[in-house]
Amino acid sequence: MSNHEYQETAHTPIKRKEMSRRQFLAYTLGGATAFMAGGAVLPMIRFAVDPLLEKRAGGSYVKVVEESKVKVGEPTEFKFQIHQIDAWYISNPEQAAWIMKDENGKIFALSPVCKHLGCTIGWNTSNKNQYVCPCHGAHYTVDGKNLNVAPAPLDEYQVKVENGFVYLGEVIPNTRV
Amino acid sequence: MAHGNKNEKVVYVGDSRVRKPGGATIPPDYTSFPGRSEAFIPNFLLKEWMVGCVVLVGFLVLTIAHPAPLGYPANPTNSAFIPIPDWYFLFLYQLLKYPWVSGSYVAWGVVGIPGVAFGSLLLAPFLDTGKERRFYRRPIATALMLLSLVSCYYLTKVSWDFYQHELEITGTIPEHTVREEKAREAAAAGKEPPSATKPAEAVELVDADNAEVKSIMEKAGCLTCHATDLKGQAGANIPALRGVGDLLTKEELAEIITNGKDKMPAFGTDLSAEEIGTLADWLAKQKATE
Amino acid sequence: MFKSVYNWIDERLDVTPLWRDVADHEVPEHVNPAHHFSAFVYCFGGLTFFITVIQILSGMFLTMYYVPDIINAYASVDYLQHKVPFGSIVRGMHHWGASLVIVMMFLHTLRVFFTGSYKAPREMNWVVGMLIFFIMLGLGFTGYLLPWDNKAYFATKVGIQIANSVPYIGEYIKIFLQGGEIVGATTLTRFFAIHVFFLPGALLALLAAHFLMIRKQGIAGPL
Repeated sequence: MSNHEYQETAHTPIKRKEMSRRQFLAYTLGGATAFMAGGAVLPMIRFAVDPLLEKRAGGSYVKVVEESKVKVGEPTEFKFQIHQIDAWYISNPEQAAWIMKDENGKIFALSPVCKHLGCTIGWNTSNKNQYVCPCHGAHYTVDGKNLNVAPAPLDEYQVKVENGFVYLGEVIPNTRV
Repeated sequence: MAHGNKNEKVVYVGDSRVRKPGGATIPPDYTSFPGRSEAFIPNFLLKEWMVGCVVLVGFLVLTIAHPAPLGYPANPTNSAFIPIPDWYFLFLYQLLKYPWVSGSYVAWGVVGIPGVAFGSLLLAPFLDTGKERRFYRRPIATALMLLSLVSCYYLTKVSWDFYQHELEITGTIPEHTVREEKAREAAAAGKEPPSATKPAEAVELVDADNAEVKSIMEKAGCLTCHATDLKGQAGANIPALRGVGDLLTKEELAEIITNGKDKMPAFGTDLSAEEIGTLADWLAKQKATE
Repeated sequence: MFKSVYNWIDERLDVTPLWRDVADHEVPEHVNPAHHFSAFVYCFGGLTFFITVIQILSGMFLTMYYVPDIINAYASVDYLQHKVPFGSIVRGMHHWGASLVIVMMFLHTLRVFFTGSYKAPREMNWVVGMLIFFIMLGLGFTGYLLPWDNKAYFATKVGIQIANSVPYIGEYIKIFLQGGEIVGATTLTRFFAIHVFFLPGALLALLAAHFLMIRKQGIAGPL
């Protein structure tokens, strides 16, 4: 390398897009901070969002009543207990269903929760042959079809009949209207 | 500022007390300082964080390798439990065991010594007021600190060793260890780990009002260890007698009563063969009702 | 975009000096391990703070599942540790972190003591630091009861019994801590409140004072 060439390079510094030392340190610091924050917080986030990732347990059927007690064309309210495991709290809360047989002999069960704002409906309390909600006067037909106020028909329970007993399962959207 | 230049006009943002930028409010950049000092961010903090990353990794490894201990639910009637505070309280715990700071001198142990020690620590800058900062040039402060460190270490060690010794002579395994082992056994057997929260599900007694069995049990003193409700003491490794019929046969039970097992003494001499037979018979009937 | 938002805020609140003061302040040569390896002893204060942050975060997350009630406390801890994924890690972080904070703080205190950094004009900072130490011990003591297992119950009973033997006021301290005649339902809620609200509140205030004083006075000079 001649002296002349050496001087040449000294006069015109090569301009590359290089990081300054300070920038490099700043990025490394950012990385280290991210690592520490992530290492500490990610397990906690996973811990907190667990309910979102939990698989919903498939509904099991609960024995409710003898088939012979279900009337044709006239819904009757039956109470039954479900086994509920709510994290560390295990209980057997009571639930209700309006069960009847239609003219074809098919048994169906309606949930008593009003689709308007979640009050509990009753049968024939003021209107003839209708479900009526005491809160805002929503009515439903015997099949659970919403007549006014409520935005949707009453939910149904999955029904299974075995050995002369009616079993109820999950609550599903109404299939009759 | 009172001694500031009066000709300098300070401009504020609107009617707030915040000065309009452009003044000397921004501190000088670190490069304007001489010497080998460096900026806090990023240079110095990066070094601190490097140590932090190492600590974090070690910490996470520790938490994964050693789950936090959890024993059995608090039971005020549990007489077999040996309480021990966290390690950083052991020195105080041990201090109070010495006769010259307990009994009628307990005030000295609870308030006096810790009060003087912690008080002088708190007020150290006002007790050690000399200008000298190097520890080897202030022998009194350094000696007192070293003495306290040594005594704390000593007290902690004595306390811990005594606890270990007590566990050994009483044959107690700490509850959280028992629990972990049971969970491991259950996992190895492919079962759900036993729940500690539902002792109420303990097996019902069969033929609970058998007067003859009751009198034999009273005579032998079964209830003093196996508990009055026959649920045993999980912490002290004393098995429940409820449901014992599922685990052992009548012959095995009679054998254990006669000759003892582990911590259980032999009752072969205290009870007649007939009584042992009745008892084993009754125990063998203690099966979980389906 | 980011820059114009920042400028808009900066014009009104003049925030630049705040963070520039933190970011660009001078760290002297004698605490820099690149120049003197022995300067690593200066890292323990920062590590104490880091572990404290982990403690606060993991504690916040644990209260998503924990209930301070003598019937359900144990069950909820059992549930979060054994049933919730990563539960044993989050609880482990809080449990082991408590010990680690004490260790780090202990080392930090020793460093300050043996370098004589507590001397004038930094007396106030030492006093505040010692108060932080006591609060950490208090957090350790009150946190111990919360899982409501045998160890928690009996260790707390012993601790309260020790407080009871303080002359004259011991009885009052005991009843105040227990919230009644026995270690029971009110003791647990009391310890929970102290552990989760009162002591952390005091801790944050003292930490703020600690850091402000360090910024104001700068780190103690070389020996």
